[in-house]
Amino acid sequence: MSGLKKYGILTSLLAFSSITTTHASSEVYANFPITLKGYNGDATTSESYGGQMARHMLHNGLKKAASSGNLAKMEMYFNGARSVPILDPKSSSKFPVKQKLVEELSGGKTLTKKTYKGKVVGWPGNMTGAEVIEFMMKKAASVPKGVDSLTGYNYPQLISKFAMGAVFYNQACTNYLGAKKLSPNSKPNDAPYKKGAKYTGKEHVWDEAFGYWGAAAHTLTLSAKESYEVAKKKNLAAADYNKDGIVDAGTEMTYAHAYYASGFDKGGKTNYLETVTRAFVDGRQTITSAKGAKIGWNGRSNLKKNASIICSNWEKVIAEAVFKYAGSVYKDLDKLNTIMEANGDTKKAFATYAKHWGEAKGFAMALEAGATDRSAVSAKLTSLLGYGPWLPNLSQVTDIAKDGSYVKDEASSLAAYQLHMLKIQKLMVDEFKVAARNNDMLGSMDDLAAKLGGSGYAEND
Amino acid sequence: MFDVFLDFWSGLLSEATNPQKRVFIGYLASALFIAFLWLFFVEKLKIKDATSVIFSKKIWFSKSSKADFKLLFLNRIILSAGSVAVVSQITISTFLYECFSSQDFVQPLLFYSTPAGVVASLFTICFFLLDDFSRFFVHRLMHKVPLLWSFHQVHHSAETMTPFTIFRTHPVEGIIFLVRTSIVQGVVISLFIYLFGNKVDLITIFGASVGVVLFHSLGSNLRHSHIKIRYPKFFERIFISPGQHQIHHSVEQQHYDKNFGVALAIWDLMFGSLAFSEKKEHRFGLNTKFGEKQNLLHLFFYPFKSASQTFKLTFKFRGRF
Repeated sequence: MSGLKKYGILTSLLAFSSITTTHASSEVYANFPITLKGYNGDATTSESYGGQMARHMLHNGLKKAASSGNLAKMEMYFNGARSVPILDPKSSSKFPVKQKLVEELSGGKTLTKKTYKGKVVGWPGNMTGAEVIEFMMKKAASVPKGVDSLTGYNYPQLISKFAMGAVFYNQACTNYLGAKKLSPNSKPNDAPYKKGAKYTGKEHVWDEAFGYWGAAAHTLTLSAKESYEVAKKKNLAAADYNKDGIVDAGTEMTYAHAYYASGFDKGGKTNYLETVTRAFVDGRQTITSAKGAKIGWNGRSNLKKNASIICSNWEKVIAEAVFKYAGSVYKDLDKLNTIMEANGDTKKAFATYAKHWGEAKGFAMALEAGATDRSAVSAKLTSLLGYGPWLPNLSQVTDIAKDGSYVKDEASSLAAYQLHMLKIQKLMVDEFKVAARNNDMLGSMDDLAAKLGGSGYAEND
Repeated sequence: MFDVFLDFWSGLLSEATNPQKRVFIGYLASALFIAFLWLFFVEKLKIKDATSVIFSKKIWFSKSSKADFKLLFLNRIILSAGSVAVVSQITISTFLYECFSSQDFVQPLLFYSTPAGVVASLFTICFFLLDDFSRFFVHRLMHKVPLLWSFHQVHHSAETMTPFTIFRTHPVEGIIFLVRTSIVQGVVISLFIYLFGNKVDLITIFGASVGVVLFHSLGSNLRHSHIKIRYPKFFERIFISPGQHQIHHSVEQQHYDKNFGVALAIWDLMFGSLAFSEKKEHRFGLNTKFGEKQNLLHLFFYPFKSASQTFKLTFKFRGRF
């Protein structure tokens, strides 16, 4: 055999082997090889975040349950149980979903054990995150569809938006991506996460944080609009990455803050979803490239850099949501005022206002649960939003009595409360530099200044 | 030094391609076209003669015109660093917005229900009027306040005028103009956003304010030229014609402190400084010792000397009381 032929066969074999070997695509959070030294199981890939996806199912179920007013059902999703049905995403002929039960993703999971353990400033009663959600659940069970028309509290929205921050954002950014877990000796990369695991300590720590983010594994192959449609169960083709005709709720769906990021990004002004997801993929590749050895100095720096990108952008997504819903509340109050002046029926307009207020409040409280100290911002947000929404009888919830009932006091005027919403939008711009700015009630001073031509250079007239 | 030259030319090129700027190539072309039409149809010149008037070497390559470019270069160096230090329109608008928010008399978004088209029209018109008035007012101060005249006289020392004479500006004056722009934009932006919220927008053509595009497309660059375009008197009471601005640069005593306006003549009419254009030829420049030299060092340093003398005189004068 001539040398040329040998060379040709060798290069062909190398090319073929590089195609068939399992390796991770830089665009998909999947197919990361086993790097754990000494592993002798059957698994061929090391990523695993089923527990986090199970919690996304519990969160979605809790929101639905809160609307039903059934406390036992709410407890089931918050505290976990056996054979808990997935309420969202529910399988349909247009959007078939592989799993029916939460435990098909991971068994024995709860939300309560993973909820923010600090005291929540934005809610009266000096409660921890879990206590706030428990309190809200009980209140939701006492009013029709979880909405209290006397206080303006929409509990499904309050619970859902706060829980997303108090569980997912909190766990990812204060626990898994925190300095402790990223240090070489905590959950080391040269040892299994736990006995018998197929993944190393660092691999799983990173995977768990990714799971909480809520992005589909193939997010980087989709546009923001497609990810948004996947979350809304309106684009089966985009969701079904492996083309098996059915959507895997654990790897092919968009949830929680990743969904909100896609919503903001599709406006074209921001790129949160891609930025965060790419940082997760990049960090995971760094861990994989250590090949089961301890993460070195450069690797650790890379992980810390990516963790910082992830958490700062994640926080911005929450701040964008506060900004958006503060704008909605402003508009709702305008409509409510018009109806009140015309002595019309305010029931529908008030319900919309209460829903948006609940969303604004839930996200505002979620900002407390991150790794960065936001106590000053939280205090301002609490002062501007109040403990409860402004009510047409000029009252507002100001506290919780010992028996658990709400204490109300005189509220400011509607106009003054509207001004608070504008101040919240400005606060989000100043503190978090939010850029999507949906429902921007103030307009963009920067954009206008640019259109006017800026100050320019010296020209005489 | 090479970087400075590169910045200078790239800056000039970006202005030539930016419709927000007066020396945008499109505005220069329209000025050229208008000049031809005027010389051909009104002044009855042949095309060849009109061309030689417009592109006269005596004007374009005079010491005065060369000094315009030298000052432009100097301003680029000084103001590109200085503009960072000058308070921006965003800082002013944010500050004013805070002030508006802290009072209880006028609530925010008071006129939020106004249709977006009406808001954009109002914003565009209000900005144009306030901007034009502030230019008039600052210009007037430049002539009336001796300390400010020390610096503004640099612009008036131009003996020949081309569209680039707008850049014949002392850096101190340039900073005053930057502050004026920031204040006007800051006030209009903050006030409109406070009252109308996110509906505020500017009506634009090719990305520039419709007012700016119209003003510059209709020959604003001929204000600083020897093409004496005149409007009927009725129009010259409303809009400043190039001929009226050339009177502003005339050395004749009866023309002193006339026609401070930029686009609108109504401000001069209101303040009693309006003069109509004249058919006769004007000589531009200053009948002073300062106006005799066109070198850069003189144009840059003399105003400081003049300003310090003015300052000392004022101080002395006040000290007698």
